[in-house]
Amino acid sequence: MERSTTRRCGGGKLVKVTVRAQGRTIEDIRITGDFFTHPEGTIEALEGKLVGMGRGQIGGAVRGVLGGGNLVIGFNADELILMIEECLR
Amino acid sequence: MEALRFINDGPTDPYLNMARDEAIAIAVGRGQSIPTLRLYGWRPTAVSIGYFQELEEEVDLGFCAAHRIAVVRRITGGGAVYHGTGELTYSFAAPEFDGAVPRDVQYSYAVICAPLVSALKRLGTDARFRPVNDIEVGGRKVSGNAQTRRFGAVLQHGTILLNLDCSLLPSLRVKKAKLEAKGVGSVAERVTTLEDVLGRRVEVPRLSLLLAQEFGAAFGCPLVDGPLTAEEERLVPALRDRYSSEGWLRRR
Repeated sequence: MERSTTRRCGGGKLVKVTVRAQGRTIEDIRITGDFFTHPEGTIEALEGKLVGMGRGQIGGAVRGVLGGGNLVIGFNADELILMIEECLR
Repeated sequence: MEALRFINDGPTDPYLNMARDEAIAIAVGRGQSIPTLRLYGWRPTAVSIGYFQELEEEVDLGFCAAHRIAVVRRITGGGAVYHGTGELTYSFAAPEFDGAVPRDVQYSYAVICAPLVSALKRLGTDARFRPVNDIEVGGRKVSGNAQTRRFGAVLQHGTILLNLDCSLLPSLRVKKAKLEAKGVGSVAERVTTLEDVLGRRVEVPRLSLLLAQEFGAAFGCPLVDGPLTAEEERLVPALRDRYSSEGWLRRR
């Protein structure tokens, strides 16, 4: 089942999260929008890491990637975690 | 910065525009080319979307096809932009670590946008940089900018709106939520043009000259005219193929 949510995050940037889940486990996830990351590969790395994860693991994965020396302009870890969890509800 | 190469390309094919920007960034990052300011336009007109944007979410592909508007995905993040005939685009490429461009990304936007702001002020506007990546006059956006750091280089490109054909704005699916965030109900309220602000037309050659002068002043170095090098020209065809491929456009 695929679910998505869109939110206006800090700085006016729009973020859309689309999750395809099998039960409460992420099968596929896309994070799209008009934000910036440095390096750009941060988002694909995070998406790859989140596949196979359930609710309890999302926070650690997101904070680990976004906090690990990568820069995100337009949203923060808390906002993204909430959006992913919303898609898994 | 010892010198800044200046390339004044004029209206150019959208996929070639993106390929040339990337080829320059690669060569600058390798130390094969000096820092470069390139000015260009878009022929045919085009919509460019940011690296992370979902194509179908941002662009009315049917409208673009019907009006022969090209659609291209950038390597920089940021939003969807309509590149019409009333717009001048710049790209600026410099080595990432040689000190001319700050390491702090958000501060570097301000530094690279500063000569744009100066040029717009010389035209008689009260232009201001608005973090993260906009230049505004009277609270309305006249310039958007997007930066990537790859290949050992900083590549920032952006647009300045001289005038705007509003009939072609439906090419973009502008999000109500984004407009509401800025406290406006339509793109026309959020965006302004130099023509609107000044009550007169500003022509591309005049703005181009001011930009070249202000970039030279901001970075404290002379501008040198120079075409793409042989190495850069060799990179361009494959890059152009990628930018014009369905796979690249539809990657998100």
